[in-house]
Amino acid sequence: MSLPLAATHPRLSVHLFFPIIVIVLTTCSSAFGQSDTQLDTTVVDDTVSIAAAPVTTLLVEDGKYDDGDSLRLFWVPSIDDQLIDSKVTGYRVYRLVNDGAAEPIVDLLPGVGNYTDKNVELDSSYVYYVATLTESGEYPSIHTESISPQREWINFRRGYLFIIMMIISAAIIFYVETAKRGKKLFVRKIAGLEAIDEAVGRATEMGRPVLFIPGISDMDDVQTLAALTILGRVSRTIADYDSKIFMPVSRSLVMTAARETIKTSYQAAGRPDAYNDDMVNYVTDEQFGYVAAVDGLMVREKPATVFLLGAFFAESLILAETGNSIGAIQIAGTARPAQLPFFIAACDFTLIGEELFAASAYLSGEPRMLGSLKGQDVGKAIAMITILLGVVAVTLSEAWGVGIMTDLHAWLVKVFSSS
Amino acid sequence: MRQQIPLLITFIVGTLLIVSVFIPPFGDLETTFNIWFDIIAVFAFFLGGGNLLRVHINKLRKRKRDWGFSIVTILGFSVMLIAGLFKIGNPGDIASAVDAPGSLFYDIFNSVQYPLSATMYSLLAFFVASASYRAFRAKNREATLLLIAAFIILLGRTPFGVMLTGWIPDSTSLLQIPNLAIWIMNSPNLAGQRAIMIGIGLGVISMSLRLILGIERSYLGGDK
Amino acid sequence: MEHFALWLSAFLTLGILSFLYKDNPWYKLSEAIFVGISAGFWVVTLFWDNLVGKFWDGWQDEPMLFVGAALGFLMLLRLVPKIGWISRWPLAFIVGATSGLWLMNYLASNIMVQVMATIQPLFSTGYASGFDAGWGAIISSLVIVVGTFTGLVYFFFSKEHKGAFGGAARVGIFFIMITFGASFGYTVMSRMSLLIGRMDFLLGDWLGMIG
Repeated sequence: MSLPLAATHPRLSVHLFFPIIVIVLTTCSSAFGQSDTQLDTTVVDDTVSIAAAPVTTLLVEDGKYDDGDSLRLFWVPSIDDQLIDSKVTGYRVYRLVNDGAAEPIVDLLPGVGNYTDKNVELDSSYVYYVATLTESGEYPSIHTESISPQREWINFRRGYLFIIMMIISAAIIFYVETAKRGKKLFVRKIAGLEAIDEAVGRATEMGRPVLFIPGISDMDDVQTLAALTILGRVSRTIADYDSKIFMPVSRSLVMTAARETIKTSYQAAGRPDAYNDDMVNYVTDEQFGYVAAVDGLMVREKPATVFLLGAFFAESLILAETGNSIGAIQIAGTARPAQLPFFIAACDFTLIGEELFAASAYLSGEPRMLGSLKGQDVGKAIAMITILLGVVAVTLSEAWGVGIMTDLHAWLVKVFSSS
Repeated sequence: MRQQIPLLITFIVGTLLIVSVFIPPFGDLETTFNIWFDIIAVFAFFLGGGNLLRVHINKLRKRKRDWGFSIVTILGFSVMLIAGLFKIGNPGDIASAVDAPGSLFYDIFNSVQYPLSATMYSLLAFFVASASYRAFRAKNREATLLLIAAFIILLGRTPFGVMLTGWIPDSTSLLQIPNLAIWIMNSPNLAGQRAIMIGIGLGVISMSLRLILGIERSYLGGDK
Repeated sequence: MEHFALWLSAFLTLGILSFLYKDNPWYKLSEAIFVGISAGFWVVTLFWDNLVGKFWDGWQDEPMLFVGAALGFLMLLRLVPKIGWISRWPLAFIVGATSGLWLMNYLASNIMVQVMATIQPLFSTGYASGFDAGWGAIISSLVIVVGTFTGLVYFFFSKEHKGAFGGAARVGIFFIMITFGASFGYTVMSRMSLLIGRMDFLLGDWLGMIG
């Protein structure tokens, strides 16, 4: 019989263990008491033993909706982890990979009760334990069960995000298609864009060039892409009017893309030989170095018209004020709200945020493009209705406790927090 | 063909990155793209840097206006390039960080590029002043509103604002300029900010869709 | 050497400041130095950080990096006139990726988050507002809802700004102008401190007049 006694006779086990637990507890508490009194009376040396209870209820679970690349740990902090005079200086998480040796993976502050291990691999198994740290040593918890991370293929947590994306996209595509079939769609006038022809015409009359600045971000900023699409329309007008354009840029990729854009506009206008690579030049990636060069160019070349469209940062006002000082007509636009006031103060026309993205569609006058603007408005309507509904619901729910409104509000929170 | 392939690439890559948000195993695509982008940008730099040199060498050769300064630019560019690529004067060997203190690259950055950059940035103080002056001649109701809000916020951030309206009793403390400034920041400003941001969000979505679907292709050479 | 560096910095600082008076050779010299040095700085930085740091040191672990490098190489084909059009491929790749990424990011961060943040009870006292009790809080909350709502009306493209709709759009643009004013006023002081920083360098570090 190799079975342990305790397993075969449960009652006996209680009888056996109870006294042992009592003995252990009394010894422990008397030991604590002793060390306390020692601390109170004399300080013997600086390595006084401060024992602390280990963390309890340590659980590990697979990270939800991930690529099998995270495991989440939860625990109840040590009872000795107090706000004031705490013995606990922190926690150290240990990990055993594929039943190997335990290795510390992270040190956490006192009071912390969870940790997500993002450095895990699909086919490995992991066991964890958490050690409570004190000045004198570590007090480990029990080990978790062994777990392997799981891969999920669809992130259901983002379900509502998906639905909202589909609704807005469908609205845009719907109106694009409607317009394509010949239905006339109304689009209101945008002052800054109405002025473009006139501004380019003025440059032609004065015999001075047009300066186009596409912001200082690279091609990985959608504002730069918006600027280039506008450049496509503007350079077409410039080609038609036989004006001159020059375009210093601060990114090599933007230089390449802008050349491509202008070149095709000139081809479309039937004047391919009037195009020249020197219309677009790279200056420097350095924000203020670029500004120094553009400022110099502005006062020397004296462009009649300046376009400042794209992503701008602190330099927005330096450029816009210099352009203003040389008496150029300035058409500016950015989706960076912090820079918009400076453009408004120093430029003749400013495209505010969304108008920058609408510009090329508007300028093209093409039905499909205008359709996309109408589709955008559906998105706005959804946002407005949601806000109204949500505010009414949460107000009625909080002030008068209207049940159905509480549910509605809870649902809206769920939908719009799914990002 | 010349149009079709790029349009197809844009469509596939764009769609993939949208879908990746919902499919965890594709979650790393954004990081991968960013790294690829950085690598492409270095290659593009050969074009940009080459263009910079070409422009200035041309200016020099043809003795165009201000050609003397082109020599300075070419020199500056070359010196920085040699200092950085060969890590001249670096305390360690070639494996040390390029901007390690003590290196020529570091010294030039500190005594040339940094002061130039900081001074150019500081010009904003003057330009802010001239822009404010122009805004003072508010032409219409909108501009007047902008001006009033700017003025209150500006005063609210200075001790002068506290001094000016400190006598107003606590019962109507909102009228004290610092409080009024906080209220403007937290209420009407916040509202305007939100409308702008939601608008921008929709603008970005529409713009991106037009690009992904190939409706907007002026950057690829219009519709022909 | 240190002395020389200090004088050089001061010389360049004054050169840039001289632009305020008018364009002049001193500024042109500073500008030429700035452009040359900083373009070189970025070539070097991108070379070590991206080409060496991200590609060369990483391709053994991540062979897919070669796709990035191949796309980069295609960019260079611009230099060959006959097949220059192939350089549109990497551009198309970048345009697609940027569009896809921004579409989702802006939907989540700009639209959903902002809509969610606006849904607050009108009687809330916890809403950040300047004055948090009684009618004051209600008015502040109303201002936020009305401002956001009418601001969105202003951005409507497919409806003419006439009648009640036009009135709402007008209220919306008022809110947007207050927003611009607020951020203008907020920035002015910080811009002034930039200048103070440079003056500090000229008068303190360089001339030793303050300190």
